[in-house]
Amino acid sequence: MKIRSKAALAAGLMLGTMAIIAVSIVWANAQVRAAVAQQRHSVEIAGALNNMRMVTFEYLLNRRDRARLQEQLVWERLQGLLAHPVGFDGAAAGTLANLRNQGEASHHLFGEVDATPATGTADDVQRRFEAQLSSRILILQQNSLVEAEQLIHDAGARIDETQQRVVLVTSLGLLAMATLIAATAWLFRRDVLGPIARLELATREVAAGNWSFELDVGSTDELGDMARHFDAMTHALRDSFDRLHASNRNLVALNKELESFSYSVSHDLRSPLRSMDGFSLALLEDYGDRLDDEARDNLQRIRAASQRMGRLIDELLGLARVTRAELRLQDVDLSAMAQEIASALAQAEPARQVRWDIQNGILVRGDRELIAIALHNLLANAWKFTSKVKEAVIRVGTRVEDGAQVCFVSDNGAGFDMAYASRLFGAFQRLHHESDFPGTGVGLATVQRVMRRHGWSVGAQAALGQGATFYFRPAEQQDERTEQGHPAG
Amino acid sequence: MNEQNKAILLVEDNDDDVALTLRAFKRSHLMNPVVVVRDGVEALDFLFARGVHAGRGAAPPTLVILDLKLPKLDGLGVLKAMRADHRTALLPTVILTSSKEEQDVIAGYALGANSYVRKPVDFAEFLEAVKVLGIYWLALNQVPPPQ
Repeated sequence: MKIRSKAALAAGLMLGTMAIIAVSIVWANAQVRAAVAQQRHSVEIAGALNNMRMVTFEYLLNRRDRARLQEQLVWERLQGLLAHPVGFDGAAAGTLANLRNQGEASHHLFGEVDATPATGTADDVQRRFEAQLSSRILILQQNSLVEAEQLIHDAGARIDETQQRVVLVTSLGLLAMATLIAATAWLFRRDVLGPIARLELATREVAAGNWSFELDVGSTDELGDMARHFDAMTHALRDSFDRLHASNRNLVALNKELESFSYSVSHDLRSPLRSMDGFSLALLEDYGDRLDDEARDNLQRIRAASQRMGRLIDELLGLARVTRAELRLQDVDLSAMAQEIASALAQAEPARQVRWDIQNGILVRGDRELIAIALHNLLANAWKFTSKVKEAVIRVGTRVEDGAQVCFVSDNGAGFDMAYASRLFGAFQRLHHESDFPGTGVGLATVQRVMRRHGWSVGAQAALGQGATFYFRPAEQQDERTEQGHPAG
Repeated sequence: MNEQNKAILLVEDNDDDVALTLRAFKRSHLMNPVVVVRDGVEALDFLFARGVHAGRGAAPPTLVILDLKLPKLDGLGVLKAMRADHRTALLPTVILTSSKEEQDVIAGYALGANSYVRKPVDFAEFLEAVKVLGIYWLALNQVPPPQ
């Protein structure tokens, strides 16, 4: 049975009990009202009977007409009272009939009493008859009074009885309600609180990582449904967690492979290059005087190519390292970093005159090491491509775009044609001839990877011969775990 | 000082690198004898005068130049075994390798390497590196007394 049905049943029973109590109170009220009316009416009857008795005495003693008249009035009142009883129940009907009979009898006897009392011995018979008559009247009246008293008493008893009955019904109703409440509480405990406690335990267990926890509830009510849905949910979660775990393992394995690959690259690919360069130089040194210019030039080309390939390998490894490295976020003073790089570049080529315009106090949150690599690439690029400009200016600064801080590095160097901008950030992509501006074409690819690792966007704006501006938008740092391609663990 | 023969032990499996290193020594005017061994096991055999080097006498070299990628036993394994033995525990050892992987550098120093030098592709730079190495380790540096 559903909890909803149980709750409806309990509420219905409760309301029914309350209705019974209410009806019994209304009924009792009516009963008490009637009994009070009966009592009041009976008191009036008793009063009338008492009057009758006094008037009768008066008449029997003095035989005055006024008393006879009064007896007639009282008799009519009594007759009215007895003919229209108010609030009497069936039990009193007999008593009322008795009273009516006795009243009529007594009135009838009263009518037979002579207006003048008997005097002297001649009227001895008459006197005895009258005495008998009087006593009969008085006895009737006395009986009537007693019965009227009984009616008053009965009405009181009726009130008491009704009250007792109401108390009984109310008590029984309250008992029933208490039982209902106790049963509801017990059911609530069993069907609601218990399952909720289990659900709470289950959520705690699952939150703590115990994916195999199962509620396994048999009940068919709403909470049973909920528990089954919960079990289904943990199943689904466990499955997707397992899948995630498996792909994570794959990623870790791939990463290991990549690492061992780059290790081999750094080790094994470099040594033949070293041999090529070394023995070419040995030839030049030992036999240079016996070679002609062309042969020497060829040897120089072999050396240059070997060294260039060595640099390419190094930069490829650097690119791979940027992708692999774990992000350690901290506040980075971009301005101070740019100053350092600028002075290092100037120191390496002291002959060049370059005006550096670096804005103060640029702060970003990121990985210091990776940002240093990216900034170095950007500044070295600017430095390189302004090498043929007379008054070279390199600027590092920020501006606000759409309410967000955008950092830029701009120069007034060779620039490039925006038609090729899409190739700008690809590895080994170059937009200038090696003979004009030496380089491997890995620098901007590295910059883009660093920015991507941080979740920052990067772009460029340039025109051929009018310099280039590279900008990036440091975004709010996301949690590293959400970052793609970086397995945890 | 007589017990030390001033020899340099070059542990290197690549013939080209051996030739280039020897050439660099010569061009740097380093006159010390150079013993070349081709793998890690032979390096330890030489150092502890056993196996193929059993009869050579126990005098240790002045300097060990150690490649990391070696057949049989790699350079880090050689270094570990050297540092574990009292005869070679303090022997100056320079790692000269193609790798500049962070993990290799850290592992080298952790195992007690005295220096870590990466072989440059440019032979001119390599020459310069070997020259500086020779001057520092063979002339400038005070070696520990023999054990």
